[in-house]
Amino acid sequence: MQVDVVGPDEYGNAAYAKLFENIVGDIGKTFMIKRSKLVLMPELPFFGFSVILRNAPGNKTVSDAASFRPEGSDLYITISNERYAPEILSILWKQYGRNNVIQQTRFDILIHDAKEEDVRDVIIASGEEVVKEMLGAFWRALPEGIRVRETFVDGKVITVMAVEEIMTPGAFEMAKELHNEMIKLGEESEIFV
Amino acid sequence: MYDGGVYRSAELYEAIEDVGGTVLHFNRSAQMLTVTMSVPEEDRGVIEKISKEIGGEIRSVPLAGTEIAVVGCTLGRHHMPHPICDIAEVLRESGSISVVMGIARGRGKNTSQISKKELEIINEYDAVIFMLGNFKSCVETKRFLLEDITVPVVLVCGPQPDGMDDICEAIVPGVGRKAERMRLPDEREKLREISSVIIDVIHNKKRMLEEDPLFIHPAELKILLENYEPIDMCLRPAPIVLHLDGLRVKIPYKEHKEYFDNLDVYGRKLSEIAEITESKMADNSTLIRIKTKSQVEDMDSRAGSE
Repeated sequence: MQVDVVGPDEYGNAAYAKLFENIVGDIGKTFMIKRSKLVLMPELPFFGFSVILRNAPGNKTVSDAASFRPEGSDLYITISNERYAPEILSILWKQYGRNNVIQQTRFDILIHDAKEEDVRDVIIASGEEVVKEMLGAFWRALPEGIRVRETFVDGKVITVMAVEEIMTPGAFEMAKELHNEMIKLGEESEIFV
Repeated sequence: MYDGGVYRSAELYEAIEDVGGTVLHFNRSAQMLTVTMSVPEEDRGVIEKISKEIGGEIRSVPLAGTEIAVVGCTLGRHHMPHPICDIAEVLRESGSISVVMGIARGRGKNTSQISKKELEIINEYDAVIFMLGNFKSCVETKRFLLEDITVPVVLVCGPQPDGMDDICEAIVPGVGRKAERMRLPDEREKLREISSVIIDVIHNKKRMLEEDPLFIHPAELKILLENYEPIDMCLRPAPIVLHLDGLRVKIPYKEHKEYFDNLDVYGRKLSEIAEITESKMADNSTLIRIKTKSQVEDMDSRAGSE
């Protein structure tokens, strides 16, 4: 994850870059962020955190992370993306009961009396959840007293701005500018990929 | 401080009593025991010998007999955990009773506040470590939080602030807001630096007290108070906490006013040689600030001339 920091306070910049990395790491979402930019202006005070995600947050279904092989009334599932294994397992347990879901190996699951179409489209991670968790991390990283906040979400870019007392048009403009800059950067990086 | 097992610890307590020492604080956790004690320097060998025999060890703790507050801007996760808890832990390792505290409305830059009651609570301690954040301008703006604190303050913050030296005994920069524990070697070194700074501050305060000594040493007063049944039966951890200039006794002053006021101390009432007040933190604690010898003599001469 690339973290760019803009601000007049050198010590604060370095400390907040580390803080941001740690907090995003704590919620296990570092891999989702392609690039981030923190604008830290404690003099005003104005704080803007913006990230470009690797993928636009969308719903992930079981079929995105596993493949299926029906055999008679049984259904064999092979998990291809390890990260979603706990979610898939817990959803299957809930849907079919623990007795009917047999985990043969770490990634191979057998379900008795199950149809592929019933399992395929079950959501294992919602896009909304990702945005929520990301915003939670931003709010944790932002200074506690800087409480007047505004959020912008556009596709892969999430931006949060925070001021202490009154949301001035100038501060709002600065945040919008940051957000648009990140959208542009995101589009450019996609062209080069 | 004795650090070891509980096995044969009665022998240790007996030895402390035999050499004329006193137990300042003890903490038992399962089979482990730590005893903070005050014994004459010449008898240290006796205590060391017994400690070795019963499988423990003795080390010097320069902050024994002090109660120090570590204050953050709020109790929120942005301010409170990690560095503040790590600092409190280092203080405990040095023998102090450390208290972690957050201000109700300390967060923010222009909206930050401290109330009179919070100041009064902070001023009950021997010294305060005040923890501020990562931005220089924010730290400097929050100067007013420290201005009315009357006990020695050590400011711990991220960058080195300007114009704060006159309100703090010391400033330790390099520790700001953190989202993780201070585990790395340079961070542990920083914690040791904070500990040594506060040891110096306490040492200076002790030296000032030595110039005009207290009428009775707090440890001596503790021995007298220990025999009082409500204190002896008190289930709160460390029912008597020593301060440099007095004690905090964790029973309510209102209910035990008669006892406290009339306790006989070298032929005088305790209320004559100390200021006894209810703790501002909670009305179930009593704060005793012992007057100095010169204060008591001055009081006597005034009474004599009247």
